[in-house]
Amino acid sequence: MYRGREGQWAFVLHRLSGVALALYLLLHVIDISLVMYGPDGPFNAFLAFYHQWPFRIGLILVIAGVVYHAFNGLRIILMDFTSWGVKYQRSMWYGVLGMTVIIGIPVLIKLIPEIVRGG
Amino acid sequence: MAVKPKTMRDAKATYNTNSELAWWVFMRVSGLALIFLVFGHVWFNNIAINVADVDYNYVAGRFSKGWVKVYDSFLLGFAMLHGMNGLRYSIEDYFKNPARRAWAKVLLYTVFGIIFVLGVMTMWAFSFEEMGDAVRSLSHE
Repeated sequence: MYRGREGQWAFVLHRLSGVALALYLLLHVIDISLVMYGPDGPFNAFLAFYHQWPFRIGLILVIAGVVYHAFNGLRIILMDFTSWGVKYQRSMWYGVLGMTVIIGIPVLIKLIPEIVRGG
Repeated sequence: MAVKPKTMRDAKATYNTNSELAWWVFMRVSGLALIFLVFGHVWFNNIAINVADVDYNYVAGRFSKGWVKVYDSFLLGFAMLHGMNGLRYSIEDYFKNPARRAWAKVLLYTVFGIIFVLGVMTMWAFSFEEMGDAVRSLSHE
């Protein structure tokens, strides 16, 4: 299942999205913790900075990473705990990609106009 | 640990310590919980509202609600442990030099420990409800 076939791509994307999400999580906890400085602290200025379009595109990538990592994680669980999971892992990976696209499209329809409008 | 075990029996055979087996199980259990917790979090804060409307009042308002603090505490705890252990797997895979590997893990645990405490403090060390009341009474003076 490795050696450059689907299983390896599934692993590479899972590792890549996982590392990215873990680093995003650290950043996200730090920025939200700035509310501890109160309403006159740096929180609002910081968030306004993050609401600029390059960061909002970045947030779309974070959401895409979440959806892929979630469904591929489900695929891993099925491979580990069912008798048929390994046999169907390749088709399940295409299912993971399919689910990512199916969830991604309405998310993009909601978020892209917000970003284009600049708010 | 270049190739990870793929079944419960493999995992039991591969890992010679109980803690490695426990982490293996934890990644799957927390992963399942995180699917619901994170999808809910993204739904509430990115889809149900415009995320650009998030500001101090919004976050303080959220942390004034008990159920949000409980929900976000589970989210924080599971996500931090799941993410930290995932990064640890990556360190085990890519850092060949034992000394560097050990230091990378020390750095990893330190950073995650500090930021976890920061997250817990944000939710539990202050009463945003009282803080909101104090600010409102100040602005009425």
